[in-house]
Amino acid sequence: MKEQLWLSALLANPSNGGLRIVAGPEDTELTDVVIEATESELPADGEGLLAVLTTPPPGTPWQQDALIRRRADRGFRALAVQEADGFGTGTRALAARLNLTLLNVDRPMMLAKACWHLLEAHDALTLSYVRKVAQSIEHHVEALPDLLRHLSSSVGHGIALIDSETVLLEAGGHLDPSVHTAIDFAPWLDVTRVGGGTAASVRVDSPSREGLRIAFFGDGLSDPQLRALAVAAEVAMPAVAARILIDEVAALSDTSVSSGLLRDFLDLSGTPDRDVERRMLERGWSTTGYHLAFRIIGRTRLDTLQLLRFVTRNLGTVAFHAHATTSGRGISGWHTFTEMPTPQQIETHIAALRELHVGARRLFNVATGVGSMENGPNGLAASLSEAADAARIAVNRSATGWFVRVDGLGLEQLLLAWTRNDTFVPAAESLLAPLRESSDELLSTLSAYLDNESRIAATATALGLHRNTVSTRIQRVQELLGVDMADPEARLALHLACRAVQT
Amino acid sequence: MVRILEHAKLSAIARGFSLLGSGGGGTTTLLELALADASAWPITLYDLADLDPALPCLGAAFVGSTMLLGERLPGEAPFAPLIHAAERWLGDRIPIVCSLEGGGLNGLTSLVFASKHRVVDADLTGRAVPDLDQMSLLVDRVPGVFATCDTGVGGVLLVQTDRPIDLERVIRSAVIQAGGAGGAVFAGFTVGDLAEHAIHGSIARALHLGTAFEAAADAPLSELAEVLGGRVLGQGRIMAIDLDANDPHVSAVLVDGEAGEIHRIITRSESLAFITDGLLQASTPTIIVVLDAISRDILQVTDLTIARNITIIGLPGPDWWSGSAERIRHVVPSAYGLAELDGGV
Repeated sequence: MKEQLWLSALLANPSNGGLRIVAGPEDTELTDVVIEATESELPADGEGLLAVLTTPPPGTPWQQDALIRRRADRGFRALAVQEADGFGTGTRALAARLNLTLLNVDRPMMLAKACWHLLEAHDALTLSYVRKVAQSIEHHVEALPDLLRHLSSSVGHGIALIDSETVLLEAGGHLDPSVHTAIDFAPWLDVTRVGGGTAASVRVDSPSREGLRIAFFGDGLSDPQLRALAVAAEVAMPAVAARILIDEVAALSDTSVSSGLLRDFLDLSGTPDRDVERRMLERGWSTTGYHLAFRIIGRTRLDTLQLLRFVTRNLGTVAFHAHATTSGRGISGWHTFTEMPTPQQIETHIAALRELHVGARRLFNVATGVGSMENGPNGLAASLSEAADAARIAVNRSATGWFVRVDGLGLEQLLLAWTRNDTFVPAAESLLAPLRESSDELLSTLSAYLDNESRIAATATALGLHRNTVSTRIQRVQELLGVDMADPEARLALHLACRAVQT
Repeated sequence: MVRILEHAKLSAIARGFSLLGSGGGGTTTLLELALADASAWPITLYDLADLDPALPCLGAAFVGSTMLLGERLPGEAPFAPLIHAAERWLGDRIPIVCSLEGGGLNGLTSLVFASKHRVVDADLTGRAVPDLDQMSLLVDRVPGVFATCDTGVGGVLLVQTDRPIDLERVIRSAVIQAGGAGGAVFAGFTVGDLAEHAIHGSIARALHLGTAFEAAADAPLSELAEVLGGRVLGQGRIMAIDLDANDPHVSAVLVDGEAGEIHRIITRSESLAFITDGLLQASTPTIIVVLDAISRDILQVTDLTIARNITIIGLPGPDWWSGSAERIRHVVPSAYGLAELDGGV
């Protein structure tokens, strides 16, 4: 079986013996290839042929001119010789003038083999790719990007891990967006050609991630090359799928270890523990220095691992010494500074955290809280706890974009944060329930009364009512609740309950 | 037929020899100045047939760097000691003089001797060539020919050998010893030897070419080529000059033709070949004349500089060289060590 061969396909072949265009038409269709040691052995009729000479060309410009002229006169389309890079401007101009593509080839026999692969021995081409895939799998890899790099460099084409929206990872080149869009995600194997861009992709059969494909891509690959690369992708796919799984398991176990460690650290509440300290140091978590903690929690149920993956990927843009791990239903993280940062630096970091939060909100329904800058191991624990409080408040703060920072909180908000837990709120609800049976006016009056230091006149002014009205209502509240408003404990409890219920 | 040359013809003869120089052989200015004294004129020019074939003859030429001659002028009678040595070696006075090289400044050299010798219109090359072993007498292996040359400060060297290349090498070293340029005299042959083993009528050809060239100075290029008996090879602008990796004296001058053709002039001390689009158009012994496209100055190979607009004309080489395979072997480009350039018309 013999096919037409485009020069671009030959140029795109990684094992083409260092083939480069020196002069003449950029792409041309070749009917066949002839490989000889010297020019005199080439056939008289070279219509549409690529001539490859295995011995170096003559050294003088006029002999090079004559060589070009003779090939062009005999109908050859292209001529590949060694040292063509050294041909002068005149010879190059002549090749362009005579419409002959002049190519430099470093290793002519390798080019001969590539031509044979592309023109006749498609199975051999496929086998050579498959063998390269196999060779790349045997090397040690740290993670998926490593594996893709190995695959790309040994196969000699770019490789990308894609979903229908984006390129997740790529190595050895850049997948043209137009080719990416044209890839059909439905079939098992897909071969895509858009303009000069080509790709061969295969579905990744991964139990944890759906809708992924791996694609070998390159410019101007011929159909035999793409078919062979599709097979290579099929062979490489299980390794990629396995690697995705391994990476996920590794990430999961690593996260659970770090999450446990953080819990252990917080449980110590400031008591020094050599074992915890050692484990933290091993993770690169320094407790000395200044810490600025943050916590991101889901406003609804979410996959904290996914969130952590997103956060760690983007943390690098926020600060260099940054750590994060899962904790409860969210992520806890912090930055460590060796010296006390200036207020300006702190603001920059908080702005970056806000960016991170905004980015995360595009994918997850989250709220973020940021603690204050604290010093030392106890400071880290304190900052983390502040961040947790702030996050709890942020869950309901749409006004601040679900982003709250402790420095920006009033004492009242902090207090409220403590009261808004699962036990207090129901208790407050039931305590104040009698006031809410008819209307909310009793509750609002009580609230205003307590806010105004239990003074009738001030309450009346604040609510725009007559003092007798206020007085009557307070009387009624006392009756309904059955509490003694003179008791400071009772007043405090009522005051907190009002806040908890009303916010 | 005896011909009387008037002083007024000097510039035409000089132009003619410049054309026959094929871009080499040196500019004729120096010899034109040496012959400027009107008292030496008119000069009687003899044909071979006018002279007794038994008469001894000598040939004289400047050897070495022609550019150096312009910088360090030769003495008043640079050839006198050389001729004296040759006559002493022969034991006879030499009454006849011819030119060694029929192109470039040496085409005029024989005229310098007109006061004391009879000048015969013959020479040993018919065009400029670089080496002494390319002299027709040596190519044809005429026995008894020897040469004398300067070795500096009045020193004279006489070489007689059966191997022409030795003569070239020994004289070349002597000339280098003498300072890079000097005179050389060939003797040991007769007028009769020239009949068979020399190129005839070069001064007459130079006069004809020079007169035609001056007359057609303003004529279109094709007309100029026609009156010179040649053909236009090309016209264009010099874009690059590639030096040969093997021989630093060889250059390939890249000329972008007016219609986009790729011309190359292959030069050594003369223009040796002309190629268009990879096809050989002309090569030695054909004479390749390069003119400045605007001023029509006849250019030496050293004048070929990047961005110059030039015109290239081919003139037929002397027929003598094509007389036998052995003769042509000495002037085709392969004799200069250049491959794939033989056989240009």
